[in-house]
Amino acid sequence: MNEGGRVDPEAMNRVEDTVRGVLRDVLALPDAQVDTFDADTALFGALPELDSMAVAGVLTELEDRLGIVIEDDEVDGEMLETFGALTRFAAERVTA
Amino acid sequence: MLRLGPRHGPTVLALPALFEEANRTRALIVAILRLLAVHGIGGALPDLPGQNDSLIPTEDARLPDWRAALVAAAHRLPGPIHIVALRGAALLDGDVPAVSRWYLSPLSGEAQRRELERLRIASGGADHGGNRLHPDLLAGLTAARPLTDGRVRVARLADDPREADITFPAAPPWRRSEPEVDSQLAARCAADIASWIGAA
Repeated sequence: MNEGGRVDPEAMNRVEDTVRGVLRDVLALPDAQVDTFDADTALFGALPELDSMAVAGVLTELEDRLGIVIEDDEVDGEMLETFGALTRFAAERVTA
Repeated sequence: MLRLGPRHGPTVLALPALFEEANRTRALIVAILRLLAVHGIGGALPDLPGQNDSLIPTEDARLPDWRAALVAAAHRLPGPIHIVALRGAALLDGDVPAVSRWYLSPLSGEAQRRELERLRIASGGADHGGNRLHPDLLAGLTAARPLTDGRVRVARLADDPREADITFPAAPPWRRSEPEVDSQLAARCAADIASWIGAA
C-alpha cells in the first residue's frame, strides 16, 4: 500500500478538496469554517457535528465521490483525528 | 397515501429514500410534488408497509410486500403512471407498469447493504441506524438492482462522478441529520421531471 509521501501533489489537492466538500455537505458546516481547515485541524472529538453516525455518512460519501472502497475494519480513531490524517487516508486509497 | 395536485393523470408515484434516509428526503420529495402540481402533474406518496405512518413494524417489512404495495398503489391512481424514486427506492419499483422512471442518485442493492451495515456498526450493532430490519429484507435488497431498461432517466448530484443523464449542484440531503429543504434542488428536479414526463 502507498504511504502518504508518495502521493502526487495534484492528486493530493483533488482529494483534499473532496474531503473538504464532504465534511461541509455531510456535517452542514459553513464554507467559512471548512475553508480554514488545514492538516492539523482536529476532527473527531473536536467537531460536535461529527458523531459516529455522521462518520458513516462521511466515509460513504468519500467512497462515492472518490470512487474508492473503505473497509470498515480500516476505520480507526487515528484516521479521523485530523483533517490531514483523513485526507492522507483517502489519498492512499485513490492511488492504491 | 399523500396526494397532491390534479386528480387526473399523469400521476407521479413518488418514493423517498429508504429507512433513515426516508426521513431526510421526505420534505424534498414533497416539495418536488408540489412544484409538479403547478405543472398539472398529480403526485402520490405512498407509505410502504413498515415505513413512515404504516402500522406494520419495520422489522416485519419484506421486499415482495413492498413491491406488491407499490403495484397496488399504482392500480388505484389515474394513469399514466410515472415513477420518481430517490436512492434505494429505485430498487423497489420494477414491478410497477410505469410509462417512465426518474431516479435521483440510485444505488445498487449491494451498495445499499454496505451503507446499512456501516450504520449498524456506527449505532453499536443493535439495529440499522434506528431501524430493525429482517434478514430477508436485507437479503432481498442486496440482490436488487435499479431497472435500466425502458424509459429510465438518472439524475445525480454534481459531486457524484457516476454516470448520469443530468446532474444538479447540491449537497446530498440524505447524508445530513437535519437537512433543510433545498428549494433550488427541488425546483431543478421538478423542472427536469416535468420535461421528462412531457416528452414521454
